Amino acid sequence: MWLANRASHLITVLIGTSLAVFAMMWATPGDPVQIMLADQRATRAQVAALRHEMGLDLSMPHRFALFVWHALHGDFGRSFFHHRPVIDVIGERLPATIELTLAAAIMALLIGIPLGLYAGTRRVRLPDRIVSLMSLIGVSMPGFWLGLLLMLVFSVTFHLFPVSGRMGGGDQPPGVTHLLVIDSVIAGRPDMALTALRHLALPAITLALPMAAVLMQVTRTAAMEVMPADYIVFAAAKGLPRRRILFLHVLKNALAPAVSVAAIEIGAMLGGNMIVETIFSWPGVGRLVVEAIFDRNYPLVQAAVLLYAVFYALLNFVADMLYRVLDPRVAA
Amino acid sequence: MIEISDRFRPQAKGVEKGACSLVHPAGQPQCEDVIVTIGLPRRPFVAGLLALSAITRARAADSEIRVGFTQDALTLDPANPGNRDTETIVRNMYDGLLVRDPAMKVVPQIAVSWTQPDPLTYDLILRDNVHFHNGAMLTPQDVKFTIDRVLSGKIGGQTNPRRDLLGPMRRVDITGPHAVRFVLSKPWPLLPAMLPFQEIVCKAFVEKVGDQGMVTQENGTGPFKLAAWHHGDSIVMERFDQYYGGAPDIPPVGPARVARLVYRIMPDNSARVAALLAGDVDVINNLPVTSMQQVQANENTRVAAVNGTRTFFLSINNAKPPFTDVRVRQALNHAVDRKLIIARLLNGLAVPLNGVLSPDAFGFEPNLPEYAYNPALAKSMLAAAGVPNLSLTIDTDGSGKEISEAIASMFSRTGIDAKVRVWDTSVIVPIWRNAQQRKDHDLFYTSWGNASLDPSDIMMPAIHSGGRGNSAGYYNPQVDKLLDAAEAETDRAKRAALYKQAQLIIYNDAPWVFLWLPQDIYGISRRLKGFTPSPSGMIDLSRAIVG
Repeated sequence: MWLANRASHLITVLIGTSLAVFAMMWATPGDPVQIMLADQRATRAQVAALRHEMGLDLSMPHRFALFVWHALHGDFGRSFFHHRPVIDVIGERLPATIELTLAAAIMALLIGIPLGLYAGTRRVRLPDRIVSLMSLIGVSMPGFWLGLLLMLVFSVTFHLFPVSGRMGGGDQPPGVTHLLVIDSVIAGRPDMALTALRHLALPAITLALPMAAVLMQVTRTAAMEVMPADYIVFAAAKGLPRRRILFLHVLKNALAPAVSVAAIEIGAMLGGNMIVETIFSWPGVGRLVVEAIFDRNYPLVQAAVLLYAVFYALLNFVADMLYRVLDPRVAA
Repeated sequence: MIEISDRFRPQAKGVEKGACSLVHPAGQPQCEDVIVTIGLPRRPFVAGLLALSAITRARAADSEIRVGFTQDALTLDPANPGNRDTETIVRNMYDGLLVRDPAMKVVPQIAVSWTQPDPLTYDLILRDNVHFHNGAMLTPQDVKFTIDRVLSGKIGGQTNPRRDLLGPMRRVDITGPHAVRFVLSKPWPLLPAMLPFQEIVCKAFVEKVGDQGMVTQENGTGPFKLAAWHHGDSIVMERFDQYYGGAPDIPPVGPARVARLVYRIMPDNSARVAALLAGDVDVINNLPVTSMQQVQANENTRVAAVNGTRTFFLSINNAKPPFTDVRVRQALNHAVDRKLIIARLLNGLAVPLNGVLSPDAFGFEPNLPEYAYNPALAKSMLAAAGVPNLSLTIDTDGSGKEISEAIASMFSRTGIDAKVRVWDTSVIVPIWRNAQQRKDHDLFYTSWGNASLDPSDIMMPAIHSGGRGNSAGYYNPQVDKLLDAAEAETDRAKRAALYKQAQLIIYNDAPWVFLWLPQDIYGISRRLKGFTPSPSGMIDLSRAIVG
């Protein structure tokens, strides 16, 4: 019942977002044909023919109906500019975004939750102050500034990490998952895995730090709420070791809000971070979609937004499941 | 921080030197040998960092050139690249019948020679030693197929604007085992200037993979062949060993001198500059003016500039009063200090224009008088036209904001109340291309490219009445007549004279505020030798070498 409910939610969300995007793109002025032709020689007849081929001469409801019909058949149209189906174009870029998101999320969880727990259990003492300050800095730092700073220090000045790209134009492992680190390991090429990791490092840190800061805050607050609870006091009185109290009792209860926040943050990151992708020339979907919006590449924008909606819905679903595991009262 | 950097800098240099000198006798770089540990500091952490650093530096191998490039290719199909950046990438893999040398002269590439027995016919002799990357020999059938494919007007079911680059071309005849004849439906002296835009494809290959396959696969005759296309990240090419050698007029002739060529896609200006300074790439295009000093000051990099082919101007809405009055349009031309803007905002890297054409273009009229900056004159001209208190708005997209604001402040010194309105490119361009939509607009900061450097290529769309890019709505029947006549005039001297006459009229009519022709600026590593930037924007690295 609960599952059926969620599935029907998903369908409503998908139809709603498609319609909203369609209406927005329709209401926004701009002409993809003029953008595409720029100042190439083209006759007015050619311009008209292109408009017709792209379906731009149809009314908005007609276009929407066609889009839904084709989408139901798995056809999301062709990118106006790439001469290929939008699914292919997005598919080529998605693995880069997924790899970056995974790396950043793992990093953020590993930094944010332990530090938050540490600060929350040492309330108003120096460690708490330091962690809170770090978190404030992490949240406030704009991505473009942090990214450029990391690049200037670690790449340009000290040559420790490559400036940009996924593999620096070097050889790539055979595509299995299309996540280069994992594919390199599968191919038994630790050298390639190292190269991929080194390319991944700076953009992942740039994305991870703000997320870690948020997770830190949420975990800290939750831990602070849990600490004075009777069962914690009782556990301490019982003489349980501090580590056991922290990881078994405090963490389990403090984790629930962090899980929700992490799901939202990961959902946002899977949409691609245009700023980080641009600074580090990371070939993800964020950059692709922003370019598509500027170019009025309607089919690509529509397909991408649908994909985002699916990501969000799925991550929320996963977060709810985890929530139920962490806090059985929710399920009841 | 300082302590660490001081500690490891001199050491790092030592490692780097060791790395660079380790070149195999055969000329192949030995990247694996390069992680030398001589003289590394004792602390393992720093040692590890240094080893990483050494890998970074050494990876820029001696037999590989890397280009930090603004945009990924949209397609690899030379029949419809869609923009100049895509064509620049594709041109490394596909050769044309003709090509432009760095001085923009059209010279034979796959063709050996061309002759014009009559105004409607061009005969081309082809080389007999050209191979496609799959090993097949190039035949006249491939040339005919290539041109027919463009003439069909559609690629993959979509209208192909490139059809227009072949003008009144009617058909291609095969006249011998290495000869083709291009037949036109009316005289068109532009053909040799336009042929460098057509790269030859392999008939059998296109028939096998289809138009869709041509988007991602490649089988050209160029100096490099495709090794891998990592979409959005990089395009990797390898030397084609069976290359016939390229245009004899652009020495040295022979296969590419480096084994690999990599275009790395870096849309962000600061990222491209950082990659150049860090030694990650050897050439970057579109070096921002603001970074020139930094690149020039670095001992490993330099700046190279070359006249571009793009004319910048303020389109004046010729149909809207008071801009219908030629005195007002001329006054606006006198109210802009081009030289000051070029010196201050463009770092001196632009040529001021008093007309439409680049000084490098065919038929350029060098004796156009200058629209000198003269606020007093402008003021009196406006007063004479009866608009002493002119107010206007300059439309621009984000990239032109700074310059438009500078122009607006110059206008205000002439007593013009000028505002700047910044628009999204995809919104403002269609507005100005449509007479009805632009009727309430005043001025538009814009540009038009002229990659062939033939006047027809910019005059017909941007000046001729009804042209797609005639955003000013300029109409002078006399100019139209001259341009139409020049379009079909096969005598070069007469054709140039027609264009010169047109330029004088356009100068006096002042449909635009004429501005300038910016130079294309490249950042280049000092390791790279044998590369000369070309106004065409094509980055020919087949003759370049690093080391």
